Amino acid sequence: MILQNLYNKVIGFFRQTDAEQQESTKDTACNRLRVVLMQDRTNLTPELMERMRREMVELLSKYVEMDKDALELNLEQDGEQVALMLSIPVIRAKDEEEIKAALAKEDEEKAKSEEASEAEEDINDDDNEKDEEDSEKYEDDEESEDGDDIEEDDESEDAEEDFKESKKDTEDK
Amino acid sequence: MSGRVIVITSGKGGVGKTTTNANIGTALAKMGKKVVMIDTDLGLRNLDLLLGLENRIVYTIVDVVEERCKLKQALVKDKKNPNLCLLAAAQTRDKTAVTEEQLKEICEKLQKDFDFILVDCPAGIEQGFQNAVAGASEAIVVTTPEMSAVRDADRIIGLLEAKEEIKSYKLLLNRYRPNMVNANDMMSVDDVVEILSAELIGIIPEDTGIITSTNKGEPIVNDEKSLAGQAYNNVARRIIGEDVPFLNLEEPKGMVAKMKKFFSNLIGKEK
Repeated sequence: MILQNLYNKVIGFFRQTDAEQQESTKDTACNRLRVVLMQDRTNLTPELMERMRREMVELLSKYVEMDKDALELNLEQDGEQVALMLSIPVIRAKDEEEIKAALAKEDEEKAKSEEASEAEEDINDDDNEKDEEDSEKYEDDEESEDGDDIEEDDESEDAEEDFKESKKDTEDK
Repeated sequence: MSGRVIVITSGKGGVGKTTTNANIGTALAKMGKKVVMIDTDLGLRNLDLLLGLENRIVYTIVDVVEERCKLKQALVKDKKNPNLCLLAAAQTRDKTAVTEEQLKEICEKLQKDFDFILVDCPAGIEQGFQNAVAGASEAIVVTTPEMSAVRDADRIIGLLEAKEEIKSYKLLLNRYRPNMVNANDMMSVDDVVEILSAELIGIIPEDTGIITSTNKGEPIVNDEKSLAGQAYNNVARRIIGEDVPFLNLEEPKGMVAKMKKFFSNLIGKEK
């Protein structure tokens, strides 16, 4: 017994120094917790976040040409404040005429749907509300158009995978 | 006199709510405060065991509510400290036997005679939690540096924030293991405080003495040598408004210190 204890201690002693080089289980715990608490606090499921991301791509591509698959939308916590962080790798700014064309096309579609039946008008109202929300977020994204956005992408992709994984887990249960 | 009603809650079970209740209550009573503890964990009562009062209970909170006895008759005095009383939970009934209103009324009555009313909350976020919180204006959220406990604490904090009656809540980090934290195998105090963004009222180190003191039915604050006992005493002092620094739980760092600890552990084992 004493020998076995001794052996474990010696091994444990050297392992401890090895472990410091890898990502510690503590960091894993903190990161997993942050993601899951964000979901708990906001009621935004991974599906909803993905939908929000897609809608954001659709909206913003009217104004800028961007790497659509790389657009990342994440919830982050800064003290007590929960922030919606949007990072968009911009390929190039669209020129005035392109933007005008895109907007004109949209107006045309709107006009068409307004002519349609009452039921459809209701849906249109919803769309308008969404546009308002989106425009707020657009302001956020102007702030975050720094160079380091792209670096974050890998991490946040991982986070998204985690979202999906954790969702699967709960479904299994 | 209008006593402070503090609910001790956690969401997750087994993180040390009842132990915290027994120790803070005893520590406050030792400081000369008049303290009553209410066990609201109907059907799963344990506070009586931790205080060693299990053989003295005649009436429970359900008897009070159903008017089989007066409130004062149901209060069990502690063996050592006459300042300390327990209002036990009923073991044979479930959470529906007492309502939010009834608990509120009991707390209001007790406020007249006691400085502190500590409400021991059951695990979970259902009616038992709602009842326990009903009469309280302050809360202590107990958690451990484990993911599940922190997640549940976050949920509880969310629910407490939604309650108007709860004016303040503080975090108590229990079962802390400094050697694991140093090895980066456990979340640190700072990690938990940052994730929950809540104010800390105490850090209680993991201590085998908790089990032995429970075996004896005597709260660990009575053992002044124990680190956990000291930590609980400090929590009680912070509750009454004293500015007490947090205990230094950090283990020695660096290679030399590690070697020292390593060998002293070895010698300790061989004895």
